[in-house]
Amino acid sequence: MDFTFTEKEEKFRGELRGWLEVNLPKGWLQGDRKLPEDNEHYSKSLRDWQRTLYEGGWAAISWPKEYGGRDATLMEEIIYHQEMVRVKSPPLVNYIGIHMVAPTLMQMGTDAQKDEFIGKILTGEQVWSQGYSEPGAGSDLTALQTTAVKKDGKWVINGQKVWTSFAHLADRCFLLTKTSQSEKKHEGITVFLLDMDQEGVETRPIVQMDGHQEFNEVYLTDAIATDEDIVGEEGKGWAVLIALMLHERSGIAAQVFTLEQQFDSVIEMAKTIRVNGTPLIEDPFVEDGLADLHARINGAKLNYYRNITHTLKNGKPGAESSLDKLLVSELTKEVFDFAMTIQGHAGVLTHDDALFDGEMQRQYLASFGATIGGGTSEVQRNTIGERILGLPKDLGR
Amino acid sequence: MDFALSEEQELFRTAIRKYMNNLNGTEAARAVIDGKLDVVKSAASGLAEMGVTAIPVSEESDGLGLGALDLVPVFEETGRVLLPGSQLETLALAVPLLESFGTPAQKAARLPNVASGASTISVAWYEKGTSLFPNSFCCVAAKTENGYALTGTKTLVPVIGDPDVFITGAQTAEGKSLFLVKASDLSSVRTLSVVDETQQLAEVTFDAAPGELLGEPGNAADMLKHGLLHFNAALCSSMVGGMDELVKMTAEYAKIRVQFNQPIGRFQAIKHGIVNMKLDLETARSLSYYAAWAVETDAVDKVAAVHSARSFISKAYIKAAGDSIQIHGGIGFTEELDVQLFLKRARYYENYFGSVRDSRKATAHSLGWHSVPAKRDAVPVS
Repeated sequence: MDFTFTEKEEKFRGELRGWLEVNLPKGWLQGDRKLPEDNEHYSKSLRDWQRTLYEGGWAAISWPKEYGGRDATLMEEIIYHQEMVRVKSPPLVNYIGIHMVAPTLMQMGTDAQKDEFIGKILTGEQVWSQGYSEPGAGSDLTALQTTAVKKDGKWVINGQKVWTSFAHLADRCFLLTKTSQSEKKHEGITVFLLDMDQEGVETRPIVQMDGHQEFNEVYLTDAIATDEDIVGEEGKGWAVLIALMLHERSGIAAQVFTLEQQFDSVIEMAKTIRVNGTPLIEDPFVEDGLADLHARINGAKLNYYRNITHTLKNGKPGAESSLDKLLVSELTKEVFDFAMTIQGHAGVLTHDDALFDGEMQRQYLASFGATIGGGTSEVQRNTIGERILGLPKDLGR
Repeated sequence: MDFALSEEQELFRTAIRKYMNNLNGTEAARAVIDGKLDVVKSAASGLAEMGVTAIPVSEESDGLGLGALDLVPVFEETGRVLLPGSQLETLALAVPLLESFGTPAQKAARLPNVASGASTISVAWYEKGTSLFPNSFCCVAAKTENGYALTGTKTLVPVIGDPDVFITGAQTAEGKSLFLVKASDLSSVRTLSVVDETQQLAEVTFDAAPGELLGEPGNAADMLKHGLLHFNAALCSSMVGGMDELVKMTAEYAKIRVQFNQPIGRFQAIKHGIVNMKLDLETARSLSYYAAWAVETDAVDKVAAVHSARSFISKAYIKAAGDSIQIHGGIGFTEELDVQLFLKRARYYENYFGSVRDSRKATAHSLGWHSVPAKRDAVPVS
């Protein structure tokens, strides 16, 4: 067992740290971390941030060098996430483009698609969304209703997508459609690289319970795509989808370290907020609950480390890695649930009127998305039960 | 990054598991319930033959000089079959205490016998109505011409497998102190009724029993606290082994048991219940590995590492056993199945040399969450 980083890895960390100090937006490291509220300026500032990352060579470190990446090792990716979480860096607006679409195109795209899109994804010139879920098909992607029909050499697309992250800021969409009906539910799916800047695509933001607008409904009315926009083969979109999901390997790292940081902020609150003259942490109920959460968060992080070890030794993650997302998202909810509870009556306040500037209230409301997005906890449990424990498949599947 | 047991450690696990399979799983534990205590001794000598008892003993004392991580596979596999015996107390508590605080003469007298399997050592700490870290002991050690004479009564003393020596605590002029007392010098031993019938606890009485001072007088609590880090790490491994077996047997049952024309594992209520056990198991395993690593390497966060593991796993083990009984349905409520044995073992360990609350307190204090020092009951005082 060895938890130390090599000299080379520490050098990598130092290089990134130094770069962040110089290049983060002005005042960011000192705690002035406000991003513009309105979509236009928000979008511009995040695109600018990605441009800055790109110019520094930090936009897509896991990509191969030939595409403008660094060929980063898994450990370097982990360090990258640790450092980005540490400075609470602005979000990567083109997360989907960089971590999912581009790697999938590198693997399965045509030469023309690679030439057209990969460079623009890297620089932030082109922001991507992914059109998976539909009103009738949440976590069950085989129940798609959106159709693409060939007419006069073009594909005409009709349907509705929902929970489409970043669609209101995006230029292109990695879109799942049905191009034929089949007995087998995984067949007849085709993936298009849809141009969102056209009349047939209408985006309506969905306001979340925490006031944010990250998701959208996307209405497709006779939207047009061409054969050149298809990824992989017509009707074989399921294989593309699986390939894309496998590229999401580093997503968990960011979540694990973010959870750790969020928990630290709750500890900070418990140490500083006084109730009846004594810090919250002196209350045995608070101490006990936080120590329990500490153990479980530490356990989630260590699980992740165990899976990294497995990946490093075997070239791919173990089956147990599917536990990580479930554990981390459930714990995120529990941490802020507890953070609300221990604030007592003052916990009903929000924003600047609340303790700790309303950080816990904000995060608490946002945390409800954690166990739904990216596959609900229930779907994750089915997957784990069936793939890892070998239990029989759910009825109807 | 390398967070896994080594190849040698995994190979050793395979050997221990094979031996446990030869013992027919929980058969030894069930034999104890039937009063057939011979199995405890024969299993102990089997483990000694495999070299298990030599693992934590230093090479100068005829041991292998290995670390806490090398005990992980051993205790996971013995925990998986609920093997009765005092291996945990001997190898993970008495040996670290003797290695750290024993005089060269004490080490020479005791440790080679432990390494060979000839001697097992248990711990007589609790007194009636006192805590793990009492402010003082009723049991007193009076100075004599050539040592100490101990008088008093200890309870909740693990005695399975007939340990020949006890590490015990008694009051001296300097404060609470640790002593070694021979089993043959006890004036009486009264066996207690225990929920987990695969274990044996006793109330033991000293009547001017010769006691051999271990370490500095007045330091009993601090020494025990140190020893308990080793002990709790090993205890966690044992509980992880039990949890692993629970997940395995529950999943197997859910695949074959048919209700409403379906294997019950197809129903989400059942499936998700088993998945939750699995989630806890993997978290428990990660925490226990890290605890053992932290003890072995004397890491700065070893107190938090061990006590986080202990508090989480104690609760998770009980929950896993309880949920397993529920998923097994009526048959799970019977003596016929092993599940109930795991539940009783989990409950037996819940407060064993410290409670969940104690461990959470220790975690919070070691992480510096409090600006004021701990009260007397959180950090032991002499």
